[in-house]
Amino acid sequence: MFDVCIDIGGTFTDSVVLDEEGNLFESKVATTPSDLSVGFINSFERAAAHYNLTVEQFLGQTRKIVHGTTVALNAFLTRSGSKTALITTKGFRDIVEMRMGLKNITTSMYNMFIPPYEPLVPRQLRYTVEERTRYSGEIMTPLNEQELRSVIAEIKKEKVEAVAICFLHSYVNTANEIRAAEICREELKDVYICTSSEVIPVLGEFARESSTILNAYVGPLVTRYFTTLQNRLKQMNFKGSLLIMQADALVQSVSEAIRKPVYLMNSGPASGPSGSVYLGKLMDRKNFITLDMGGTSLDIGFVKDGMINLSQNRWIDEEMVATRMVDITTLGAGGGSLAWYDPMGLLRVGPKSAAAEPGPACYGKGGSEAAVTDADLILGYIPSDYFLGGRVPLDMDLARAAVKKIADKLNMSVEQAAQAMFSVVNNNMADAISVVTTKNGHDVRDFAIFAFGGAGATHAVFLAEALGVPEVIVPPFSSSFCAWSMFTLDVGHDYLRSCIALENAVDMDTVNRLYQDMIDQAVFDFKEFGVSEEEVEIIRSMEFRYRLQYHDVEVGGIPNKKLNADDFKEATEAFHKRHEEIYTYALRDYEVELRSLRIIAKVKKKDHMNVKELPAGSKDASEALKRQRQCFFEGEPITTPVYDSEKLKAGNFIAGPAIIEVPTTTVVIPGSWGCLVDKYGNFIIRRT
Amino acid sequence: MANNTNVKEIDPTTLATTWNYFNRICKEMREFVFRTAINHATARLHDLSVGIWDTQGRAVAIPEGLPGQFIAGGFGIKLILDMYKDRIYPGDVFLTNDPYHGGALHLPDWGFIRPIFYKDELVFMVLSRAHQIDAGGAYPGGYFPGAYDIIAEGLNIPPVKIIERGKENADLLRLIWNNTRNPKGVRVDNYALMSSSKLAEQRLVTLLDKYGKDTVFDCIEEMFTRTEAGMREAIKAMPDGEYYGESSQDNDGTVLDVPVWVRLNLIIKGDTITLDWSKSDPQTKGYVNSSFANTFSLSMAFSFLYGDPALSEYHNWGSMQPFTIIAPEGSVVNPQYPAVLGACPVSVGTQICEAILMALSKAMPKKAIASWAREYAHHIFGNDPRSNKLYIYVTFNMCGGPGAVYGYDAYQGGEIITTLGSACKADVEEEEVRFPWLYKRYEYYPDLCGAGKWRGSPGVYWEMENEGEEATITIGNSLGETTQGPGALGGCPTPLNRCHVTRGEEKIPYLVGRIYPLYPNDILTKICGGGAGVGNPIEREPEKVREDVIKEFISIEHARDVYKVVLDPKTFEVDEKATNELRSKSKEAN
Repeated sequence: MFDVCIDIGGTFTDSVVLDEEGNLFESKVATTPSDLSVGFINSFERAAAHYNLTVEQFLGQTRKIVHGTTVALNAFLTRSGSKTALITTKGFRDIVEMRMGLKNITTSMYNMFIPPYEPLVPRQLRYTVEERTRYSGEIMTPLNEQELRSVIAEIKKEKVEAVAICFLHSYVNTANEIRAAEICREELKDVYICTSSEVIPVLGEFARESSTILNAYVGPLVTRYFTTLQNRLKQMNFKGSLLIMQADALVQSVSEAIRKPVYLMNSGPASGPSGSVYLGKLMDRKNFITLDMGGTSLDIGFVKDGMINLSQNRWIDEEMVATRMVDITTLGAGGGSLAWYDPMGLLRVGPKSAAAEPGPACYGKGGSEAAVTDADLILGYIPSDYFLGGRVPLDMDLARAAVKKIADKLNMSVEQAAQAMFSVVNNNMADAISVVTTKNGHDVRDFAIFAFGGAGATHAVFLAEALGVPEVIVPPFSSSFCAWSMFTLDVGHDYLRSCIALENAVDMDTVNRLYQDMIDQAVFDFKEFGVSEEEVEIIRSMEFRYRLQYHDVEVGGIPNKKLNADDFKEATEAFHKRHEEIYTYALRDYEVELRSLRIIAKVKKKDHMNVKELPAGSKDASEALKRQRQCFFEGEPITTPVYDSEKLKAGNFIAGPAIIEVPTTTVVIPGSWGCLVDKYGNFIIRRT
Repeated sequence: MANNTNVKEIDPTTLATTWNYFNRICKEMREFVFRTAINHATARLHDLSVGIWDTQGRAVAIPEGLPGQFIAGGFGIKLILDMYKDRIYPGDVFLTNDPYHGGALHLPDWGFIRPIFYKDELVFMVLSRAHQIDAGGAYPGGYFPGAYDIIAEGLNIPPVKIIERGKENADLLRLIWNNTRNPKGVRVDNYALMSSSKLAEQRLVTLLDKYGKDTVFDCIEEMFTRTEAGMREAIKAMPDGEYYGESSQDNDGTVLDVPVWVRLNLIIKGDTITLDWSKSDPQTKGYVNSSFANTFSLSMAFSFLYGDPALSEYHNWGSMQPFTIIAPEGSVVNPQYPAVLGACPVSVGTQICEAILMALSKAMPKKAIASWAREYAHHIFGNDPRSNKLYIYVTFNMCGGPGAVYGYDAYQGGEIITTLGSACKADVEEEEVRFPWLYKRYEYYPDLCGAGKWRGSPGVYWEMENEGEEATITIGNSLGETTQGPGALGGCPTPLNRCHVTRGEEKIPYLVGRIYPLYPNDILTKICGGGAGVGNPIEREPEKVREDVIKEFISIEHARDVYKVVLDPKTFEVDEKATNELRSKSKEAN
């Protein structure tokens, strides 16, 4: 039996197979943007061939597929989601355009010159209907169904593909929203419909409505994608479970992902930091800047003291998302990023990318513009005959022809232009990393760069040099590390119920009922995976605030049983303590208010993942020396030794300048840096 | 200019990290207070400012806040340093809200100042200042038109030490809190503010431990040098000359029906700017007088807008050096004790901002900025029958947004020009939970954007019903019923604001500068203008006018009458021929 993690990025589709003996097999194929499931299946063909099986045989023996996809995020960032309408409470049409009147979201208060905000649902597609729920849950005005039906008639004329429904106070009583959704589903058969109370039932209509709109905007695309994929897998004999990775670093079922695709936003890079924490424990390291550089983008994550940052109410571009997600910053810089000149005559690289099709010029698939990968090839960093283990031959002549167009403009040699492109893209990345770290007041020099993604190992040490970071770690399977990291994630989901009461007025029966309600829901949801109730692990928490505060503090460690008054008292005491930890003070003589109950339901982990160790060797790495080639470092041609990663042993040390060829990536070690191979196969690269 | 000849070569990473670290501390402090305070104005509407000063009272970090509340923070800090000299200890906290004796803005804004020590040496002063839900005075909420003098406006707290070496001066605090209408609530908010500077202390000590005091202070000198040089560079690029700006306020809140004028001569010369406010009206009987701290802060902040946007994240004391501010004593921009000034953060704060925009937009047409929507908020107070407690309700939800800028229609977000968008609106759901008022309507309303080649943000229709008992409304610091914020380069001004109460069959106008009763089930309606425009509306692309009609930001009649664009009433297609005719006729008429 096999377990497979598969991560579809903008350029490559990475997969990692774990077989019953604990062996890992990694593959990397081109992403196929016109139909992503093609690349998905190609990836399985590669794995099947490795095991001498047909793809049907291989899929027949696959127990579990964990899948990460950027399909939702890409649809949003490229504004290629569906035409979406909003139905909301009469009189409140512009909540998502006003956005709480916030101005200084991405710019300083001293900057006025910013273009107006373009809402995902333009005003003419924001419809209102008569209905009203109160904060108490009382329905003051029932849904005006007749009016809704005439709104639906308008929506039909506009040919929208998705409808988001968000009514005031629906987090406390979902009745009007549910009724509206029923009618919409009846009348708008092929339209994707979602309600705010399904997506994220929290108080605060702005964040809730914004999240619901985003959910609807990507819903049709995500539905089509997963439906096609599931059908193809079924046709190809797959009987196991297909799980989808969410941005909160939990994995979920396909049907749940289709219902709540907003949880997929930013999910692509969300596993990498979890993987780095996992490996970090083995290496006794806790502070990382994780850099995932692929073909299209650089995803920067941040791990401090072994903890992943989860954030809530986060801006993605200019949209507010209320669901929790791993904190990742994305920059349009990757191997496919294209070079161009701006109107000031300055050389720029990215964010436009050659992506998977046509790809950089050197792929020979019709690309003629110079991409970072072309520059990497010309500088000698990546091999023309061993890119993806030799499966994709790179054409040096095409690369040089593309870069020559850049070179000619400034009368440079092709090598000089390649060097200039390499420096520009590295500077862009270094600046973005500074934003994440120094702008947060952390000194980058206190962190190690954890580099992965197809191009991460090629560029990371240069970034470390620019930023003054002392150490770079390139993990094994660095090229498909996000996929590998998915093995370290839990299958699960979080649930939330609003439960507002002052501490002395909390009804424990209500609390117990709401918890049970969530647990029942979780057990029901897990049945989809064939997971029994006994296998489900429930982690409870409560959220509190001091009466009239505006934000909650989450308190964990709530026992998983029927709770009594003493348990509740302990929880309130834990709240005072937590408030003191976070905010330096507690108000023990002031009223505490319970706000919500939460659970995370996870499948209990049976197996600890096996990280295979390398055979031990000496410091001398000469046995792995493969060849030499000319590389350019700071413009100087240097004959550089090239090592074969598959022959390296634990304890080997390689002094720079040197290249390590890994089947799926290339590690570049410039002079004055040296690389130690540790027993897990990590390359630990430090300044010498 | 400070002597910095001894500054060593500073490693750029250390400088960048230090600089951003100071700014991040301020942002973290604000976030800290949003998360811990209970007062709607502070926690939700973000009426809060924090910053870091050195021991000479020079602003090290002022990245975000309400300009009037904190850019002049150094005034109060210098006073404390002089008054307390060698009696300042680690663990102390000072409090002041006094515009005449503490360099503060107006009485509701209480500033908590914490001296920061490093290895027994005083190194920084940190200020956290926020609008209190109540600060004493004749009426709840701090906006009382008709007050006799500043003593009637609220509790006047000169700089006093409320905590010494970590120990509260309990008697003094009891006296202070006892003079507010919600002592328990004010106390919680005060803890939030005081604790936020404790957080700053931890962060600053970490920074000093890491790089050493000398390096950090070398960085600060370098930060000052760079912002001053950057600002002077920007001013040098502006054409020398004298530019006039002016703006008026509906009335002073006491003497009604007489507008109040603020007038500015702005002189650009070489790399310096002088803002001369001498021609402004004398100080008024009513409470629109602007404390000098407010005039100073707004003069700085609004001049910074015309600097290099790359500088915008980094302003500090250095940025202020090229400016001279002339504000004669006894004028509306520098009133003398005991003149009332409760409304000044908005009125005449707004007029100060608009006059600067008018003058600098003349100097640099390609950086023109139009007036923002004129503030139209209020305070409502009464008994909340649900809790049987006094509630004081302020919201900015009804206010329109920013004005246009050269090159862009207005950004939608941005509450109240004098806050530069640091304040914001609140969720309807949140306000309904907290106050006994039912929202009936809250959305954009047609024909309320100031027209222009680039138009202002849309105006808002806002309506609520009183579900509580009899209450009182002070439409105190609001404006814009009879006066308008100017547009720039021929753009239209901010549309007028209107307010009325529907009581049964009756519809009663409620006007600015007054206090009125509100009865159960009264419906309070505000129709608020949006921002002003930049450039002549007849130069706006017809296609954009069409889009605005489809979005119902403007009516088809407004398109024809103001933009001179003729649209087919069924298809909304632009009738190019009719449009061209109308536009050329309009040009001839001008």
